[in-house]
Amino acid sequence: MKSGEKMQKIMIVEDDQVIKKELQNLLENAGYQTETLENFKEAKKEILKSPVDLILLDINIPELNGEILLKEIRKTANIPIIMVTSRANEIDEALSISYGADDYITKPYNPTILLLRIQSIFRRMENKQNNLQYEDLEIIPSKGILKREEKEIELTKNEMIIFIYLVNNKETIVTRDDLMTDLWNNREYINDNALTVNISRLRSKLAEFGYENKIETKKGQGYILL
Amino acid sequence: MKFIKYLQDKGLIISLYLLTNIFTIFMLSAFKTDKNLILAILFIYITLLIIIIILDFNRKRSFYNEVLQNIERLDQKYLILETIEHPNFYEGKILHQIIYEANKSMIEKIKIHKNNIDDFKEYIEMWIHEVKLPIASLILLCHNNKELLDKDYLHQLRRLDNYIDQVLYYVRSSYAEEDFLIKETFLDKVISNIALKNKDDLLENKIDLTVDVKKIKIHTDSKWLEFIINQIINNSIKYKKENIESYIKIYATEDKNQITLHIKDNGIGIPKQDIHQVFKKSFTGENGRGKVKSTGIGLYIADKLCKKLGHKIEIESIQNNFTEVKITFGKNNYYKIKE
Repeated sequence: MKSGEKMQKIMIVEDDQVIKKELQNLLENAGYQTETLENFKEAKKEILKSPVDLILLDINIPELNGEILLKEIRKTANIPIIMVTSRANEIDEALSISYGADDYITKPYNPTILLLRIQSIFRRMENKQNNLQYEDLEIIPSKGILKREEKEIELTKNEMIIFIYLVNNKETIVTRDDLMTDLWNNREYINDNALTVNISRLRSKLAEFGYENKIETKKGQGYILL
Repeated sequence: MKFIKYLQDKGLIISLYLLTNIFTIFMLSAFKTDKNLILAILFIYITLLIIIIILDFNRKRSFYNEVLQNIERLDQKYLILETIEHPNFYEGKILHQIIYEANKSMIEKIKIHKNNIDDFKEYIEMWIHEVKLPIASLILLCHNNKELLDKDYLHQLRRLDNYIDQVLYYVRSSYAEEDFLIKETFLDKVISNIALKNKDDLLENKIDLTVDVKKIKIHTDSKWLEFIINQIINNSIKYKKENIESYIKIYATEDKNQITLHIKDNGIGIPKQDIHQVFKKSFTGENGRGKVKSTGIGLYIADKLCKKLGHKIEIESIQNNFTEVKITFGKNNYYKIKE
């Protein structure tokens, strides 16, 4: 997906075999490299040995408790860590955050949301990162505009969310559900009609820059940004 | 303690005593004792009897009256032993001992019971964490194979997950004492989690969701509150009206002392005769027996959790028109830690 960038690597600390395998699938399909922890006895050493960009850490793991492991890792490393647990409990969450977790998510989670959370952590880390780019268009989310030299076109908040999602997943099929999830995750609770309207407005705004038919509809699957 | 009843109780002893007296006087007069002396003895006998009766009655009355009065006033009657003074007479001591033994045995019995409940609760919590794993796996599998699997699979998984949460929170609401953590929470974040959770159901049912809660902070346990609001949203989806543009509106109002969260839908509403009973356990009412089956447990748990958290939950409705649930959070400066 992110052509030209180095692939980010995510460490999965999870003892349930099926979840581990499916999580790997999910993350790899989303364009990340994955690594799994196999030796829970030496968890801390194993984790710190391999250079990863983010850790998905289950609280309920064999040998030791995920929260303790988190505390241990935090003593030496600053890698972003998302705690994953099936215990939906405010006390555990508060504890994890106080030990230095970057996020906390409960099982069963919505896979798209997990990906969005990972993405937002990576984005927060590269906050100095220059604005997004699509072809020769500059995307400035804070101002809500698309820009090429002097020409600027304003996007609504919803159009911006959709466009950024498409740009981040360029040349891959994006389902309507993915877009909806991202919109709802940004607290824009729009319905199916509104999504269709937003897409068509976005298309015509892109056309004003001369990018016509760049958002293709894949029947029964979703959209693809070329 | 009544004097007459006391006398009746001591009837036999008093009669025997009097009989002995009459016999003595009879003997004395048979031996031709001086009449004055007999009268004096008689006087002593009677006075003695009266003194004994009064002393004994007073001692018992003060003890038993205290016991009776206290037990009347006590809300938890088994605490009676703690409220009375040690009796200074034999029967009272026996009674005291009996109550003590009975209490002790009851406490032991309760302890066994409590342990059983704690074990059960612990097991349920553990079981729920375990059962969430296959559900999480299935949801991931569905997501990774969405070309092959219909959305209905996900829908059923969400239903399953919701039923499981009901068990978890039923246990938490009934048995747990301090299983929650009150902290400052953004209301819009809680709503956002619930919206995402119900996104597919809302979209499939073409229910428009509008949310206007801004950056309001409340004091609550966000996980518990999420469950509570989720039950309400589930009901709104379940009891939507056909052939109209359905909506759910969530907004918050605030005044000096409290924040109120409103969740309003334009569904089928609740019949007048049912509205006062919706928080009752296993209450299904007219709606719950109709097209949609209800277990009558969701709102019951929601109400109980609200009570534990110190929030107020109210419901208003006009049949065929709307249903509005209001949850009120107190603004308590007590919770506010100095920033």
